[in-house]
Amino acid sequence: MQIFRRAAMALAFSTMLGVAADATAQQRIKFELWQGLTGDLGERVNDVCKRFNESQAEFEIACISQGSYDEAVQNSIAAFRAKKHPTIVQVFDAGTADLMLSGAFYPAKQLMADFGHQVDWSRYFPGISNYYATSKGELYSFPFNSSTAIFYWNKDAFAKVGRTAGPKTWEEVEGISRELKKAGYACPFAFEHDTWQMMEQFSAIHGQPIATRGNGYEGLDAELVFNKTRFVDYVKFLKKGLDEGIFAIKEKVSGATISEAFSSGDCQMTMMSVAGHGTVSKTAKAGMNWDVAMLPLFDGTKRTNSLVGGASLWALSGKSKDEYRGAAAFFAFIAKPESEEFFSTVTGYIPVTIPGFNFMKAKGFYEKAPYKGREVALESLTASEVTPNSRGIRLGGFIQIRKETRDALQAIFSDKMTVEAGLNQAVERGNAILRRFERTYAGKQLP
Amino acid sequence: MENRPHFKTLWLGVLLVLPQLLLVLTFFYWPTGAALFWAFTLEQPWGGGSQFVGLDNFSNIFTDRFYWESVLRSLVFGVGASALAMGIALVLALFCDRQLRGYAYYRTALVWPFAVAAPAAAVAFRYIFAPEAGVFAALNQLYPNLWNPATNGDHAMIMIIIAYSWKYVAYNFIFFLAGLQAIPRSLVEAGAMDGAGVLRRMRDIQLPLLTPTFFFLLVINLTDSFVDSFGIVDITTEGGPSKATTLMVYKIYFDGFKGLDYSGAAAQSIVLMVLVMTLTVVQFRYIERRIHYK
Amino acid sequence: MIERTPVLNIATHAILVVGLLIAFLPMWLVFVAATLTIEQINNPPISLLPGSELIANLTAAWNRAQLGSKMLNSLFVALLVASGKIAIASLTAFAIVFFRFPGRMVVFWMIFVTLMLPLEVRIVPTYAVAANALAPAQAVLEVVGIAWLWQVLTGVKLALEWNLLNSYTGLVLPLVATATGTFLFRQFYMTIPAEIVEAARMDGARPLRFLRDMLIPLSKTNMAALFTIMFIYAWNQYLWPILVTTDRANYGTAVMELKRLIPTSASTGGGTPDWNVAMAGCLIVMLPPLVVVALMQRYFVRGLIGADK
Repeated sequence: MQIFRRAAMALAFSTMLGVAADATAQQRIKFELWQGLTGDLGERVNDVCKRFNESQAEFEIACISQGSYDEAVQNSIAAFRAKKHPTIVQVFDAGTADLMLSGAFYPAKQLMADFGHQVDWSRYFPGISNYYATSKGELYSFPFNSSTAIFYWNKDAFAKVGRTAGPKTWEEVEGISRELKKAGYACPFAFEHDTWQMMEQFSAIHGQPIATRGNGYEGLDAELVFNKTRFVDYVKFLKKGLDEGIFAIKEKVSGATISEAFSSGDCQMTMMSVAGHGTVSKTAKAGMNWDVAMLPLFDGTKRTNSLVGGASLWALSGKSKDEYRGAAAFFAFIAKPESEEFFSTVTGYIPVTIPGFNFMKAKGFYEKAPYKGREVALESLTASEVTPNSRGIRLGGFIQIRKETRDALQAIFSDKMTVEAGLNQAVERGNAILRRFERTYAGKQLP
Repeated sequence: MENRPHFKTLWLGVLLVLPQLLLVLTFFYWPTGAALFWAFTLEQPWGGGSQFVGLDNFSNIFTDRFYWESVLRSLVFGVGASALAMGIALVLALFCDRQLRGYAYYRTALVWPFAVAAPAAAVAFRYIFAPEAGVFAALNQLYPNLWNPATNGDHAMIMIIIAYSWKYVAYNFIFFLAGLQAIPRSLVEAGAMDGAGVLRRMRDIQLPLLTPTFFFLLVINLTDSFVDSFGIVDITTEGGPSKATTLMVYKIYFDGFKGLDYSGAAAQSIVLMVLVMTLTVVQFRYIERRIHYK
Repeated sequence: MIERTPVLNIATHAILVVGLLIAFLPMWLVFVAATLTIEQINNPPISLLPGSELIANLTAAWNRAQLGSKMLNSLFVALLVASGKIAIASLTAFAIVFFRFPGRMVVFWMIFVTLMLPLEVRIVPTYAVAANALAPAQAVLEVVGIAWLWQVLTGVKLALEWNLLNSYTGLVLPLVATATGTFLFRQFYMTIPAEIVEAARMDGARPLRFLRDMLIPLSKTNMAALFTIMFIYAWNQYLWPILVTTDRANYGTAVMELKRLIPTSASTGGGTPDWNVAMAGCLIVMLPPLVVVALMQRYFVRGLIGADK
């Protein structure tokens, strides 16, 4: 009973404190942001909110971690349907299509205009903003934590085989891998089944489509085509390297993720998100020299921009004018170059606006360790004008499509299916998911 | 059961079940009814509308070869995990119940795994089962590819069965032990007087008297292994390699919770519930008859 | 327990020690992980021997997750859930086994079915109930016409609302309503010999008195087992608390905070993979359940009275 009494006292006490705090902050307009990050990244998002609260006295934002991207979306849906939702929610890239069709949001551009914020929308890197924009280029949400995939290579190992530069082509990767293998390295190049790096980025930078109708932007009737593009050659290429023993798959289940395998010096090359740059900096074996480069291309291909990954911030519909005024102020705040610098410094994410990037570059941000090298990500994102195959992927049920593709890749790489059969199966099952999604939103159009 | 003596006050019986009935109706049946209705529609996740599609969602599932494979896998998983968790727990409980020296320590320690939060257990099992870095790495050096859940579906299945059962050994152990301790000392002593040895007494006296607990645990273990196993799959294999550990409930969790296909998940949920219900009814009909209730 | 069986005793200890090893190996790895530096834990294979950073990691976890006040919350919630479950489950099972009212078995099966669908699948409509727990009641009243009658008679529209979000009620009540306990008590009550029930009835004992004086004392070990399990179950709940509490300062639970310590996976975020701190957090959050396990052991006493014939 003692425990009950103490808990009850704590409860009463905390309620009192709550009341006291309310009294001092009564004038401030409060609103919520639900986010999907945890660990130190979650803390950093909370820091952004804290900075916003300290920067002005009119609004108070509460950033609440929901545990993961999935949970942030799922919980927001549940709350939205019960009309208890937050003003802002962080939605990951693949959740964009559902939300766009739902009408459950306040479009970013309109929100800013309605509350008197002048926004120059061309400030945003087109490679980033187009991922979250409509087919006509209008932004519905604010790009927030953004990244793209880059190539990581171990300078020490490369020096052993007399090389000083990172590979530019996949043919080079193959050659270097052979040399490294001969020099005694067990794992020259490591990759994982993750389709974001393997399929989506490859297709974008090689200008290959994943689906028809501009990767889905132009209509819900898009069909997957990645079983007929150069992606097929790429999977064959990876399979050949695996069979030869110069490439390896590294995943959690097998003992080390690609990030861990690279940091520990076990694998000499890999490709992963630029957000992992900070992770490698913090965990790399002492004294290890490494660098990053843009993802390699097949020989003779012209580089197109790579795709952004991460999440954007959506203002949900059905809140009060005051809260929207606060949300607009918050969005304006995070788009400031200083805010971008702060967020990019404490995380591995990249700035999403051109002025933000230039501001950081001018200050010498990208010249000193541990941030040196991260500019490669922006180089990759801006490698070309944005094309219909590289602006993004707007496919319904994309989480399941990724899963089907991953399942097929696992079957291919463990010799259970041929490359063609595996990819055909993934496309066939993926198309069924697309048709189902089209039917769910029958009569609706992607904006 | 029908012949048991009982109290005549009708209203009191009704009154006693009322609290739980109200809770269950409010927090389970009302929302579940809404969720399961989606099985006959295509529901837009953000609530923009839905359309009635009859049994289409079900025919989608039933014509999918991979779905039937997942049903089979769930049965293998359910039977394997329940047998493992209950078998080990029963042996441990029977021997712990002998109350030899140090018994209190064994008793406490064997319940602990149940208290470990899921993320911690996942990290631990990752180090145990990883073919290149874990406890098995040494074995793999001697016999390459002896153990590789990353590429071998059977190994992955064994891995999730063991990882899942680990916690349930503790769960079953505590109930088995409680059941054993409820057996009056005099019965076992009488057996000893009659000259029955320890193992003989376990078989002839304790096990029969333990059947009500055994039945309880069998039903709960089987049900939970069908319904509650998506967590362990999600943090270890994510259903792979190539669907080898995609259990029915994991597919429901993946489609509904991650993929926002509420209607597909609802249809699969109904199939799962019917399956588990059937299994339970079979157990009540055929196994409960053999139970020694007194 | 009476005779000397040296060989069997050794075998008994051997079996139990193997059981201990199986139980402990994963926990040992969690402990080791909590003692390493961030470089060590991110360079598999990790060692099987502890490192030197335990205190630093524990302190970091404690401070970052503000576990102190959150553990008190968790304790409060878990105690309420565990006691609530035992109370409700024993009453329901009592009614089902010792009374004969129509629909008795239907009630039992209805309660049983709740085991068969995880929260993850019914999360959206369940949230709606948490936002207004009286919504189902309102709907029923509307369908049967009482709401209409009320409006005609009083001129006020009947709108029942009971918001459970950000409250202890919301954290506790939905978790109390599951079937495990009811089933366990049913199994136990069925083992009560008919003679005892008959005797109680002959003596003219009222049902509740029979429950209090006979059944509850007899089911002490089972209650202790159920309490242990349910306390831990409630303690480790994660999705429900995170869904119904946005006011984390007042209603956050320890496991919710623990989850915040878990690094985002490298492929989505690439934050600091400080699993060492997360594992130290696990060690701290694991402690209260362990204390409950240890405390509940006193009730594991061999039954002396009861089903003897």
